[in-house]
Amino acid sequence: MSLLEVRNVTKRFGGLLANDSIEFSVETGTIFAVIGPNGAGKTTLFNTVAGAFAPSQGEVAFRGQIISGQPVHKIAQAGLVRTYQLVQLFKTLTVAENVMVGFHRVTSGGVLAALLRKPSTQRQERMIEARTREILEFVGLTHRADVAADLLPYGEQRLLEVARALAASPTMLLLDEPAAGLNTEETESLARVIQRVNESGVTIMLIEHDMSFIMRVAHRIAVLDFGRKIAEGTPEEIRAHPDVIAAYLGGTEGFDD
Amino acid sequence: MIDAVQLAQNLVNGFGLGLIYGLIGIGFCVIYNASGIVNFAQGVFVMLGGMVCHTLLSRLGLPISAAAVLTIPVVAVIGILMEILIVRPMWNRGASTFAIILATLATQMLIEQITLLTLGDQPRTYDSFTAGGPLKLGGVAISYQLFWVLGFGTLMVAGLWLFFTRSRMGRALRACSQNAEAAALLGIPVKRMLLASFALSAALGAIAGILVTPSQITAYNVGTPYGVNGFIAAIIGGFGSASGAVAGGLLLGILQAFAIVAFGAGFKNVAALTVLLIVLLVFPNGIFAGVKSLWARRT
Amino acid sequence: MTSPDIISTKAPGLAWARILPAVLGLGVLVYAFTSNGYVVTVVGFAAIYGLLCTGLNFFMGFTGQASFGQNAFAALGSYGSAILCTDYNVEPVLALVMTMVFSGLVALVVGYPTLRLRGHYLAMATFALGLITYEISVEWTDLTQGYMGYSGIPPLSLGPFQAQTDKQQLAVILVVLALGVLAAVRLRGSRFGRACRAIAGSEAAAGALGIPVARYKLISFVIAAVYASAAGSLFAHFVGFISPEVFGTTMVVQSFTMLYLGGIGTIAGPLIGAVVVSVLPELMRGLKDYQNIGYLVLLLAILIYAPKGVVGLLDSLSGKWRR
Repeated sequence: MSLLEVRNVTKRFGGLLANDSIEFSVETGTIFAVIGPNGAGKTTLFNTVAGAFAPSQGEVAFRGQIISGQPVHKIAQAGLVRTYQLVQLFKTLTVAENVMVGFHRVTSGGVLAALLRKPSTQRQERMIEARTREILEFVGLTHRADVAADLLPYGEQRLLEVARALAASPTMLLLDEPAAGLNTEETESLARVIQRVNESGVTIMLIEHDMSFIMRVAHRIAVLDFGRKIAEGTPEEIRAHPDVIAAYLGGTEGFDD
Repeated sequence: MIDAVQLAQNLVNGFGLGLIYGLIGIGFCVIYNASGIVNFAQGVFVMLGGMVCHTLLSRLGLPISAAAVLTIPVVAVIGILMEILIVRPMWNRGASTFAIILATLATQMLIEQITLLTLGDQPRTYDSFTAGGPLKLGGVAISYQLFWVLGFGTLMVAGLWLFFTRSRMGRALRACSQNAEAAALLGIPVKRMLLASFALSAALGAIAGILVTPSQITAYNVGTPYGVNGFIAAIIGGFGSASGAVAGGLLLGILQAFAIVAFGAGFKNVAALTVLLIVLLVFPNGIFAGVKSLWARRT
Repeated sequence: MTSPDIISTKAPGLAWARILPAVLGLGVLVYAFTSNGYVVTVVGFAAIYGLLCTGLNFFMGFTGQASFGQNAFAALGSYGSAILCTDYNVEPVLALVMTMVFSGLVALVVGYPTLRLRGHYLAMATFALGLITYEISVEWTDLTQGYMGYSGIPPLSLGPFQAQTDKQQLAVILVVLALGVLAAVRLRGSRFGRACRAIAGSEAAAGALGIPVARYKLISFVIAAVYASAAGSLFAHFVGFISPEVFGTTMVVQSFTMLYLGGIGTIAGPLIGAVVVSVLPELMRGLKDYQNIGYLVLLLAILIYAPKGVVGLLDSLSGKWRR
């Protein structure tokens, strides 16, 4: 059984068919990328998998359980954690506090625990602080720990979003165009972080525009065009796939390179 | 035992009040559509309409027509001042929705306090526009003022419709409400539109206040109930069109009439507020929009 | 590890922002306990409002929502305590707790549908809650005695100890306030508090991290209501008389003034605001009739020119000194 299975997912918006019977599965421990030209339906697919929309037809299963139609926080609690293309940091919180919020899924305690502050709660707080330091170290944001999140430069904001998602100890991480808007250097450090996250055992699915980035990090790639999946395979297979070349070059221009 | 005559009488009264609520509701929509701001001080314009008109009548001895014609620009200027002194600086600084709401609410109380100090706290009223009446239909008395309200109400809705569809400024205002950025790119002065919307909205409130005072009373503190009922009218109408707000106001006025018969006059505001809560919760986009979307879902 | 030290210094101005309010608070208390009855009354009101605002701040400052209807819950607490203690001889502290529980339950039931709303609709719906409560307190004369008001409410007491004098009452109020502030501090720094502040930042991202956004908003609304209810109960005992006007729109605007003046979203802010706004009218007594106007002009000026309040001002000032 694959970790994530997208089964025959179709999504319509009124008369527009954004995703047409898309099928693929993501194996545990891999990095899976979805690419496609603008308007191919990547973002729709991503949001359907993450639970922001329910599919019109078909379903999404995570660890064998059907998750489509569940509220976002339930999906997150099941271990499927997403990031946003337009970074959604908690701006008034510090960098460290942003990561601490990430631990919500793997910790416990509500109002009563907060008021009583039993030793177990205090232990948990110390654990959160220690693990937060580790994660900030891991993504290279230690020196920014006490800065308000909205003062970070853009590249570091993206790293912080990944860090925060990591704090939730996801089984699988969904990254929505993580390299969008980053310069070469920032893309480079993001790619390293993503690979190291993956090596630590987290399965990753991402959608992305930056082809060199994708070719470098992804183990498997699915290609969408006009809402349909036109190819799936390893980076090498995709690079050589005639339909993909046609989709990206519009089929009219020659193969000059 | 519900008395049929009494119910009919209440319905007639409710119809008149409902029209007034509708006019106030239009005032809410005009500002909201131009700026995305809900002006919680809308009711204060109604109070000012009645108070200023009364002052002109009693202190200067003007005829009602002259007093009314003078009152409207006076209140409109207050609306303009409110935009310039309070709303615009906050808007420019990107203040939060809640802070702006609070500021408009505080402005309402400020104007109320100033009115209290300058004009005193006694409730007041003045005669109907035309002497005589009421018209008796069976046991039901219909005051002549209701016909004035009816006439002006219709005139206002028609006038606003013409303004928004036919005039340059009205069309510009509508463009702002749909997409302020695009409107700015097209060269529409969005900020001046905000100013215009406050002036127009204040004028509408003043007209409602001038019309309603003979059949009710006015005092420094009548703003909140009128404001809230006008807001409810706008909400029921979906916060979009003038006719929606008027329909919402009529519905509310009639509902209140039933509530008075069923629970007593004291609970008419409780009934209105309960309607507000129900409408907000069941149809967050307004009743008419809600019905439309239900209809769309079926077909 | 090189970074511009302007932004990497640890929370600029933290020390100043903490010490100054504490000193100020201590000064106020010493002054109150060494002064005559009138000062005690003013400080007592400040403490009661401080409690109300601490709760409201949780909902507005931390969770980032808005309630224009906290007066409803203050009225519930006040009338609840008045009726229980006067007509049924319930112990004041027991009545305080009972009304807090009741107000919390009401907030739960009312908040569940209401908190789905956002922005203006949320503001208006909560405003309506306050207005409805006001109308009911006027009209349901059998229960509330309407405009006549409810008098003869006994002072606070616990078992054999009766807070006879104003100063003893003030002491009890301060204990409750201290407990309330302590609870707020603990909540703010907890898993729950962080989640609430995350919701204020981005509901979508909070949900994506597994935070049940709707439930947490509701809980923080209930917390604010429980604080408001406690403040209402204390008010009833402290003054001995309540009437509907006490819980009108003025209360809403006054508590917002305190919140914005002190600094929304901070622990000290609501307390500073409560003290300043309560003491200010005393300083402006010469103005008499213009007091309310002065008040409202002050609120508007803060909203326009200093939306982060006194604490924000202190922060930025001491931040500058540190550089």
